[in-house]
Amino acid sequence: VTIRDRLKPLTLLTPAIALEVGLFFIPLVLLGLVSFTSRDSFFFQPIWTTENYADMVTVYGFDFQITFMLVILAAFVDLIFGFPFAYIMTRRVRKFSDVFRAIMLVPLFGELYIAYGFYYVFLPGGPLGFIFEALGVSAVKAMYSLQTAVIALAVYTFPFAVYNIGISLQGIDRAIEDSARCLGAGSVETFVKVTLPMSLPGIMGAWLVSIGWGLGAFAIPTLMGGAMVSQRMLSVEMYSIALLQLDLGTASAIGVILALIAVIIFYFSLKASKGALV
Amino acid sequence: VKPTDAEKAKQFVSYAYVAGVSLFLLVPLIVSVIRSVTVAVPGGGTILSIEPYFDIMESFWPKVYLSLSIAITTILIDTAIGVPAAYAFVRYNFRGKRALFTLINGIWYVPGICYALSLILAYYLLYKWFLGYWGFIAAYSAGFLLLMLMTCIVAFKYVDPCYEESASCLGAGRFTTFFKVTLPLIGPGVSAGVLLIFVLAFNEFITAFLLNLPTRLMTAPVKVFADITRARSTPYIAAEAAVLQLISLAVVIIYLRVVGTKYLRGVILV
Repeated sequence: VTIRDRLKPLTLLTPAIALEVGLFFIPLVLLGLVSFTSRDSFFFQPIWTTENYADMVTVYGFDFQITFMLVILAAFVDLIFGFPFAYIMTRRVRKFSDVFRAIMLVPLFGELYIAYGFYYVFLPGGPLGFIFEALGVSAVKAMYSLQTAVIALAVYTFPFAVYNIGISLQGIDRAIEDSARCLGAGSVETFVKVTLPMSLPGIMGAWLVSIGWGLGAFAIPTLMGGAMVSQRMLSVEMYSIALLQLDLGTASAIGVILALIAVIIFYFSLKASKGALV
Repeated sequence: VKPTDAEKAKQFVSYAYVAGVSLFLLVPLIVSVIRSVTVAVPGGGTILSIEPYFDIMESFWPKVYLSLSIAITTILIDTAIGVPAAYAFVRYNFRGKRALFTLINGIWYVPGICYALSLILAYYLLYKWFLGYWGFIAAYSAGFLLLMLMTCIVAFKYVDPCYEESASCLGAGRFTTFFKVTLPLIGPGVSAGVLLIFVLAFNEFITAFLLNLPTRLMTAPVKVFADITRARSTPYIAAEAAVLQLISLAVVIIYLRVVGTKYLRGVILV
């Protein structure tokens, strides 16, 4: 192998690496640096401190709890509805399968429209308002309830969950299920003892991916879920601390912790779902 | 073999479930469209009207053009950078390949708000020239490059290297081989990346929201959000949200009619 051959992949990769280093790694390093400075002092005369991280526990502990409760609940909703969906999509659906696949791309348009859509659905006089009225529940209360925020978040992360579960279901050799049936297991027993355990990595991956994406949601917590969620979800909190209170140190510290948690989550979900392509 | 009644029933329930869940995923889109054409008339009652779409002509469409222009420029840059990089990942073995791919993967996983805040800091402190139109392009090019890489890697894996080898055996140079053999073969894969980047960059909200302050450029999704928080639910806001979703949907449908789902499966769809 000549040196020229060795350099070839490097030349092909250089622009990509430069782009990611310049606009991803360097900014993240900056975020890390700013998180160790007081308020916006980094821009003038940096005052180094670890206080921002101490605040994470004492001041923002409750916000972490609320945020994680919300995204973990949404992730469970994704699993409950996503597993049968992925199972049917990979095993049963032949006709119209591309129509359903196309619909799975719609939540990717973004959480903004999901937030707006559900927001309007629950408005008094909105299209589903009459259901709440019939049930004797105030629609406004429903709109600002935690459950609504969880459902909206679950819709946003649903395609990623279905994708992860579906990939692992496709990876199961059908012959193994058939042998279980041949050996006398009923369809329920085959499912519980063979299919479910074998798709567990995908389920785990789906759960983690859903949490990771939920952590970054901004429009859904801002518009739904009531004061509790809209003021204390970490993504919203980061925005208001950084740009309204100009406390960049604290906002960066929240950012660093969220990013670390997300990267750890995704590391394990990639491992679980064997989602790596290379 | 004719399916039994029990099997038919199972099939029916399966389809009903998938259709029901799909319909629920479409609720936000359907609601936006319905709301956008339901206009209250003075004296009570509502009528169907496309008036709101004319109302937003002047204030909203320039922002849609801005978002379209940002999305298309991002696609051009990511194609130019992503295709060669994907080629290197598939066709060459080099030290640190997996580690590099995992690192590039990382960007997809950092929550949007963290990425957006770190970019704002970097723009203020290091890249002052990015506090404008090109700041959006830079952010999205780096943020969505992974999608182009993944779809192109899938596409390159479908292409047998023997075609390229035969072309060069028959006397084609490296560039001729790439443009006349490889590129036509991976075209659909590249187009899948183009589709995904379009849908995400055109509708991207959180980075654009944070960049809105320093750059004074407002993309269409940020305008929708600003209007929702200011005026809550009026038909013209629904029309704005509907326009963006319908443009995205039209692009998705055109893509699926022409190319199909083959190159999206294994990347984002099962």
